[in-house]
Amino acid sequence: MASPLERYEVLRAEADAVYAAWRTPERPRIDVAIDTSSLANGARETRAAIAALVEQRNDAVDLGQTHGYGMQWCHPLVTVTFTDGASMVYGPVTADQAGLIVDIATGRAPAVSALAIGMLVGERPGIPSLRDHPFFALEPRERRVAKRIGLIDPENIQHAIATGAYHAAARMLDRHQTPEQVRQELIGSALGGRGGGNFPAGTKWNFLATAPGDEHYVICNADEGDPGAWVNRVIMEGDPHLLLEGLLIAAAATGSKGGFIYIRDEYPLAIARMEQAVRDAEAAGFLGDGLMGTALDLELRVIRGAGAYVCGEETGLINSIQDSRGMPRVKPPFPAGSGVFWKPSNVNNVETYANAPLVVEHGSDWYIQYGTERMRGTRLFSFSGDIQRVGFMEIPFGVPLAGVIEACGGMLPGLELKAIQSGGPLGSMLPASEVPNLTMENAPFAALDALMGGGGIVFFSNRVCTIHMAEMFAQFVEEESCGRCTTCHGGNQRQTEIFRRTIAGDGRREDRHNLALVDRTLQFSNCVHGQFSPKIVRNTLRFFSEEYDRHASGRTCDALECEGLIRFRITNQDDPLLAEAQDICPVAAITGTPGNRALNEATCIRCGACTDVAPNAIVREAKPAAPRVLALS
Amino acid sequence: MPLETESRAQIRALVSEFRPNHGDLLAALHRVQHEYGYISREAMEVVAEQLHLFAAQVYGAVSYYEEFRFEPPAAVDIRWCSGPACRGRNGGGIRDAILATLGVEMDGQTEDGRVGVRLGQCIGTCELAPQVWIEERATHTNEIIGDLNAAKAVKIARALRDGASAAEVLRG
Repeated sequence: MASPLERYEVLRAEADAVYAAWRTPERPRIDVAIDTSSLANGARETRAAIAALVEQRNDAVDLGQTHGYGMQWCHPLVTVTFTDGASMVYGPVTADQAGLIVDIATGRAPAVSALAIGMLVGERPGIPSLRDHPFFALEPRERRVAKRIGLIDPENIQHAIATGAYHAAARMLDRHQTPEQVRQELIGSALGGRGGGNFPAGTKWNFLATAPGDEHYVICNADEGDPGAWVNRVIMEGDPHLLLEGLLIAAAATGSKGGFIYIRDEYPLAIARMEQAVRDAEAAGFLGDGLMGTALDLELRVIRGAGAYVCGEETGLINSIQDSRGMPRVKPPFPAGSGVFWKPSNVNNVETYANAPLVVEHGSDWYIQYGTERMRGTRLFSFSGDIQRVGFMEIPFGVPLAGVIEACGGMLPGLELKAIQSGGPLGSMLPASEVPNLTMENAPFAALDALMGGGGIVFFSNRVCTIHMAEMFAQFVEEESCGRCTTCHGGNQRQTEIFRRTIAGDGRREDRHNLALVDRTLQFSNCVHGQFSPKIVRNTLRFFSEEYDRHASGRTCDALECEGLIRFRITNQDDPLLAEAQDICPVAAITGTPGNRALNEATCIRCGACTDVAPNAIVREAKPAAPRVLALS
Repeated sequence: MPLETESRAQIRALVSEFRPNHGDLLAALHRVQHEYGYISREAMEVVAEQLHLFAAQVYGAVSYYEEFRFEPPAAVDIRWCSGPACRGRNGGGIRDAILATLGVEMDGQTEDGRVGVRLGQCIGTCELAPQVWIEERATHTNEIIGDLNAAKAVKIARALRDGASAAEVLRG
């Protein structure tokens, strides 16, 4: 009977041959990155155009796929791999540039082109390494959790195996480490929960391992619901086997025979890739009964969510798996005592599990080379908003936020940074003035009553109104409240109403006091959804209090966003584009004939369609203050 | 054995592989909605029988999750992204423009059932903000239109309202 490692070595040898042939192909190959962001940017059209050209010209070129590398502002991304193994990345490659890419691959056009971003593998004169791109300046020289992303076909298990997947698990199953040693190694690495809580994963695994009974479950929280965070999606779409190996290690280390990967409904590609990865891993013997020739069984199932943010709370997620509404439970008991189907369970985030194989493979000393005293290692972040470079990167904990902004190319031309939004709707909003005090770890955020959260950071510019954003998040948490606690669903309704009224132009001075009252009430909610829902409001009351005053007392929205405090006015009757503006208005607020047009302020919904088409004829401006009559009461 | 309507038998066949106490409820509901476009009362009853649940429990789940519908969807849905990057670029104005053009509320649809507007959650394609998805049921189209502004949103909503297909709108 072959040992797990011997079985692994057989698979590895086959995989090595396949991957080597892919890495150094006999014919040049064009890989179009296929991931959610690439598809949104038209990758499917780009791939179809390239395929059509190659077929039409009968070129000796193969086609393949990868995952993007992080530079989402350059999507669709295309990698050309030449017969010497050198790979060059191009972007953005739209369908009409297919000809150029095919010419480059066949040698009809020089590899250096305006679309070239950098060398993924190998060297070419005149083209820098992709690793030298300023966007990756903060990344470790060698990526860790993202090491395979962009370098393999994510739907090919052999590519994953050839680049090291399942080696750590095979060694562990081969009794090189006992489950206790693995959990101890994890504690030594100080790997913390990547959902934002940073609770030590090894300790959590210990809870499950020592729980009674032999029916234990490992559960992966892939319900990444924070708007602006998509790092878990990147792992699942770019390197699904890394997550599976992490779950396999967790199951072996905690005596679990079953597991669930709960993925939000909004991620169809991640669901498809994880489902295929599970099937492939079963076929290869890494999952299923008697896996890798051992006495262990592990059945992993992908569960597709259905659009409920609060299912990202671990007990809400557990309820959602077991045939019911995804309402958070009352804790304790914690999942390690009573989880899915009331059996002991462990819930971790995607990225937490994905780090486990790294710790087991390289040891905790290696793992803690990066990061800070309190937060070890690296993590994936996604950056968005009004910055030049939107995308994801893997950075060590503790790097300065100012450096991140620089790596992202700074703000878009003409815009200034106003606020940093982190941790999603239950997270925070901090002013630009705090940037010098912030490094990418929990503590400096916590010192400001803020939350760094699960990896999504959004940079808002000065064209954004704080009240508007507070309303957006307040509405989000109101709609996503499960409804169990009156404090939560009622409190969030009141919170939202106050912001809506302010936006409509009826802000009151006592609103700030009332928001603080609502905050205190929300603290009595059962789960973090209610407890954390006033956090952004609290941040804005503290750091943007002037804006509250200007809305309530001054009746002014400086960003010109709040509907009740702004108006649209025709400033140039002679502009020929006014006719278009009149036509585009969805509520026919612009009437009259050329030279004599009027904009009805009462009908206008302030959507801005008219200024989109006639920016020099119509102005968005502050509404002149109405004369205020003193009430006698 | 009670007599069974044809539609009930069809639904039963559709969900026959799902088991009680096995975490199959969401999968069963997704299967039904994929087939019929929504989840009928009859379907909830059949799913309940299949999974040994009360029909009320199934209804409780269907009503809880944003994705499940009790009514047939519109032929084309405009899925408006509510994420922060989009909102920072007049996403609110885009929403209001679309709703006003179609004369509907959020999560509503035009009277002829052609175009609906639904709230979308951020999927991390924020380099294209502000954006909407165009979801066409007949062709299973689900494509993003990014770098929008309110004026472009009005044009898209009008074209769909006036009978354009998703493909035509996506071509611009």
